[in-house]
Amino acid sequence: MITFILRRLLQTLLVIIILSYVCFGLMNLMPGDPVELMISANPKITTEDVVRLREFYGLDQPTYKRYFNWVSDIASGDLGYSRTYRIPVTDMIGPALRATFILSITSLVFSLIIAIPLGIATALRPNSKLDYIVNLLNFAGLSLPSFWLGIVLIIIFAVNLGWLPAGGYQTTGLNYSSWWAELTDKSKYLILPMVSLSIQSIGRFSRFARSSMMEAMRNDFIRTARAKGMSNQVVIWRHGFRNALIPLATIIAISVSSIFSGALITETLFAYPGVGRLIYSSIMGNDFNVAMVSFVLSVSMVLILNLVADLLYGLIDPRISFK
Amino acid sequence: MTNVPDQTPRANEPIVATTAANYLNKAQIAELEKSQTLFKIVYTQFKEHKAAVIGAWTILVFVLIALSAPLIEAITGLDADSQNVFNRYKPPMSHIQASSDTRETTVKNFLTANPSEALTIENKLIESKAVTSTKAEDALYDWAQLDSKTALAAIKDLEIPKKHELSKMVKNFETLHVLGTDELGRDVLMRIIYGTQVSMGVGILVALASAFIGLIIGALAGFYGGWVDTLLMRVTDALLSLPVMPVLIVVAAIDLQKLPFAKAVLSSGNESILKLVFILCLFSWMTVARLVRGSILSLREREFVLAAKTLGATDSTIMIRHMFPNVIAPLLVSVTLGVGESILFEAALSYLGLGIQPPTPSWGNMLFNAQELIYQAPYLAIIPGVLIFLVTISFNFVGDGLQDAIDPKSIRR
Repeated sequence: MITFILRRLLQTLLVIIILSYVCFGLMNLMPGDPVELMISANPKITTEDVVRLREFYGLDQPTYKRYFNWVSDIASGDLGYSRTYRIPVTDMIGPALRATFILSITSLVFSLIIAIPLGIATALRPNSKLDYIVNLLNFAGLSLPSFWLGIVLIIIFAVNLGWLPAGGYQTTGLNYSSWWAELTDKSKYLILPMVSLSIQSIGRFSRFARSSMMEAMRNDFIRTARAKGMSNQVVIWRHGFRNALIPLATIIAISVSSIFSGALITETLFAYPGVGRLIYSSIMGNDFNVAMVSFVLSVSMVLILNLVADLLYGLIDPRISFK
Repeated sequence: MTNVPDQTPRANEPIVATTAANYLNKAQIAELEKSQTLFKIVYTQFKEHKAAVIGAWTILVFVLIALSAPLIEAITGLDADSQNVFNRYKPPMSHIQASSDTRETTVKNFLTANPSEALTIENKLIESKAVTSTKAEDALYDWAQLDSKTALAAIKDLEIPKKHELSKMVKNFETLHVLGTDELGRDVLMRIIYGTQVSMGVGILVALASAFIGLIIGALAGFYGGWVDTLLMRVTDALLSLPVMPVLIVVAAIDLQKLPFAKAVLSSGNESILKLVFILCLFSWMTVARLVRGSILSLREREFVLAAKTLGATDSTIMIRHMFPNVIAPLLVSVTLGVGESILFEAALSYLGLGIQPPTPSWGNMLFNAQELIYQAPYLAIIPGVLIFLVTISFNFVGDGLQDAIDPKSIRR
């Protein structure tokens, strides 16, 4: 068990290091490095100035040296400054991570609340009309471009009906009198992004819940339970559902990564100040410090969550042994 | 494709024959007893899946539309790239009249191309009182400013040369935009048709190429095992665990001009398409690799592989001749499902402005501007999305149908 955890931890760490190094190298290949931008902003700049600037920012050094400098800065807690906003990256990344976390978790919970009952209902009545319709809807959910769904939701609910705000995080310039007011205001902004982010995972979870529930109901102990004369409800929930949960847990752990991935587009679309939008806007705005930190931090978090889910999996199902 | 062995148990044969003899004639029995090819079995099974069949037809229609894009352009006379700032955001089914400037230029071109015929036409036009102008050289210009019905009626009964050319010219002055025009006054329908080419092309190309990469990597890992397997599968797992979209964005934002070797390869006009295909391939081969590795691992223990080895077949022969035919079926399923996924990724990246670069139209980058235009022209945002949805769901259904057809054990219903 200990060796398994250690090995997985080491693997995750290695992936993070390689990824951050590759990403660091790729940033050099993006259009407009800092000094080039200064050159274009200042027509009077001389060649000597350019050389001096490059030396000052350490841009004349090879990539691996700069990478080590960057890592040692990060390790000492200095995340650097944003070039666009002129504030420390630390101040930007914290709220962004929190916003993304809230969005991802609500979307995960929302899709589970919808998908699991659908999956179980269809698993218990295979080949029924309900099964057929839900299957069709699952495929529809899997095939919908989430950003387009977002645009359509904005057109319907924000533009035509005016029920919900088209984007943002909270009403600007509003002082909350109580936590309840804050909650209602913020959740109003959360509904549309949450729905558009959830649609794909609803389709995936519902299909998976159906198949794992059907698998669970095929077990011998289900027949035994029925033979003992247990009520249908008890058989389904106590015996069937609990066993169906185990494979479901894996797919949920895997989808953490894809939900975060989808959050990037949703956040950009709804102008929701999460870390996905931060990555996107900082890359588009040549704000390399912010881009690097937000990218590496958020991807590392996803990888660590995956690792935690992997380990928890063993707790849920004692039959699994770690090798 | 190898023939699948007859799977009816031998013991049942006489019973089947006696009962069948009551209903079937000899030819039909012979037909039943013939061994079916894998393709035929898959085909009959596939036809059972209604949604998959509908999906397959939808895909066929879209492929035909994509292939006939130049033909459609020639017939309708609409150009996907011609801009017209006076006619932006026109709603669907709107007729647009060419500006008088355009008309004059066209007539001028006509006059310089046919100086001799022009005079007769002009005189005839004045004679028939179709135009009010008195000078011959003005007649054609005045005629061109008439609206298309009057103009066509005017030359209908005249005995003039180049009549066909003239009527075509007038017809082109009034254009019908079935799906309206976009923010630069371009015809949305034509852009969507060319976008079909790009989006489906990218989707299919990425799915095929990543299936190929996955096949090679999965086969190597499964066949050789040991450290090759460990190394390749660790890389695969690592790539699979990454959140795709942020990684794609970082890679897509690279300026290829800064890579010296890429400059030579990607100097053509379709640079952004090739770049996108390359990037999407880089991050979509992993599922195929895992799938292929799994099948190869089990195939490795089979007798026919042992037989081939005993006969002295090389590793590559065993893999390509003996193992790959057995992997093709599941590979086909994952290619089909991969097309849908790639189309979604292309659309998402293009929507973020990092995929296909305008003026090349793709369904994704047509949505790029559409979001800011929700108030002026909501249909601009709706149409490309519906198409992305239709094509993706079709590919997903076809993949599902193929899966059921190829592996009857996994049939859900």
